[in-house]
Amino acid sequence: MHHAYIDKFAYQDSHIHRLDSRVKFIIVLIFTAVVISLPPTSLSVLTCYAIGPFTILVLGRVPLKFALKHILVVSPFVLVLALSCPLYDKTPFTAAFGPFTWQISLGWMRFFTILGKFIVTMSALIALVSTTRFNDLLTGLQRLGLPKLLIIQLGFLYRYIFILIDRAHHILRARAARKLRNLGTKAELKIAAAMLGSLLIRSLNTAEHVNIAMQARGFDRNWRTISKLQIRSSDLLFALTAAFFLLGLHFFVEPLLQ
Amino acid sequence: MPRAIEIENLSYKYPDGTIALDNITLSVEHGQTVALIGPNGAGKSTLLLAMAGFIKGTGKVLIDGLQINSKNLKKVRTSLGCCLENPDDQLFMPTLFDDVAFGPLNMGLKAEQVKVRVADALKTVGLADMADKAPHHLSAGQKRAAAIATILSMSPKIITLDEPDGSLDPRNRNNLIKLLAELPQTLIIATSNMNFAAAVAGRAVLLDNGSIIADGDAKKIMSNSKMMTEHGLEVPDNFKGNNCGSFGN
Repeated sequence: MHHAYIDKFAYQDSHIHRLDSRVKFIIVLIFTAVVISLPPTSLSVLTCYAIGPFTILVLGRVPLKFALKHILVVSPFVLVLALSCPLYDKTPFTAAFGPFTWQISLGWMRFFTILGKFIVTMSALIALVSTTRFNDLLTGLQRLGLPKLLIIQLGFLYRYIFILIDRAHHILRARAARKLRNLGTKAELKIAAAMLGSLLIRSLNTAEHVNIAMQARGFDRNWRTISKLQIRSSDLLFALTAAFFLLGLHFFVEPLLQ
Repeated sequence: MPRAIEIENLSYKYPDGTIALDNITLSVEHGQTVALIGPNGAGKSTLLLAMAGFIKGTGKVLIDGLQINSKNLKKVRTSLGCCLENPDDQLFMPTLFDDVAFGPLNMGLKAEQVKVRVADALKTVGLADMADKAPHHLSAGQKRAAAIATILSMSPKIITLDEPDGSLDPRNRNNLIKLLAELPQTLIIATSNMNFAAAVAGRAVLLDNGSIIADGDAKKIMSNSKMMTEHGLEVPDNFKGNNCGSFGN
């Protein structure tokens, strides 16, 4: 079965792809923190911040359609949360975007800002995942000091999530092939519970086999890997560019637009 | 020189009381390729797990002269590499390189030695240019070859393979047969595909209900249509017309 892998462009080759995963991760982390901490009325500033991740996506040859599609997939969760703002905060507010001004409630302003922040930070995250192989990202996180156990679990999650999705699809297909009429809520819930149980048992079985495979190759609870990461001049140049971009926006553009 | 595998009176019961292995006695010389044949549930996989020290029954199991016990389990698993039935269980690391490097790193080899071993193992199985691929991006045939590479990188003297031909198309199966024929190690291959067993092994051990029914020349055993049918098996295509009559243990 073929999945729409979120990291399917991570295996391409570009200047962005060749950058050290630690540098990219730290920059995305700082960028996200800066964007999230922007005031709730800074919609016009947000559009300037959006230039960063979209430039990375373009330079990394990641189709914008792919990024937008993934943002849309996750957007309902944020939309539901953001929609509470216009319901509770009806204070009048004059929004400005360059020479244009218009009257809306502060609640709606907050709604658009939350949505804007979500789109910009998600784009940065997609840019990171689409230009960095997951294994390099894990190695980078490990070198940055994240607990080994968490890295191992993330590694297993990435390795087996697709197999789990495959199995769930197979079970759903088997159910659809034999379910020829509506069985009612109670029966449907019973079937769903049985399906989940089957998935759980198969997952436990896989875990047992993986444990055997690890022990057969001498695993003694110490996780050993060979790190291929190396900070080069291009990484420093990228970090400097990102710093200038963030500082420039913060000290020069933000005061102009607010 | 000790034998590759020496098993004496090995018996094993599952926790529910079902007899999985019943008084198994088997010895395999270094360099032999042995097909463990038998119907589903015959005890083939259990016997392979016992050889790698994953299950402990009554009786004696020696691998390259070493009796399996908690003290020398690491040495045993360095001598005997075990390849599981499902390659997805065998390939658990984010990239092929890391998967093939996993064993050598646990053996305590230095990074440079590990890199050489990984390159050699991947070259042997024809995946030299796929080191950076994630296992879920590989085809079924490539996964099978990669699973074997994870064992080859540890340079074991003995390799056990559980149903290695499962879910392979004829082209990939033929590639696997060629690969196995080129390996210098002692191979113990559990399979219920008789054509595959006939193509890879010179010796066959027929198991059913946890017992060894026959052990000897693969052609003689697998040509015996009466015995093969009795135990839920079939005569391989290239042995048809060579019926050798009855053949016992």
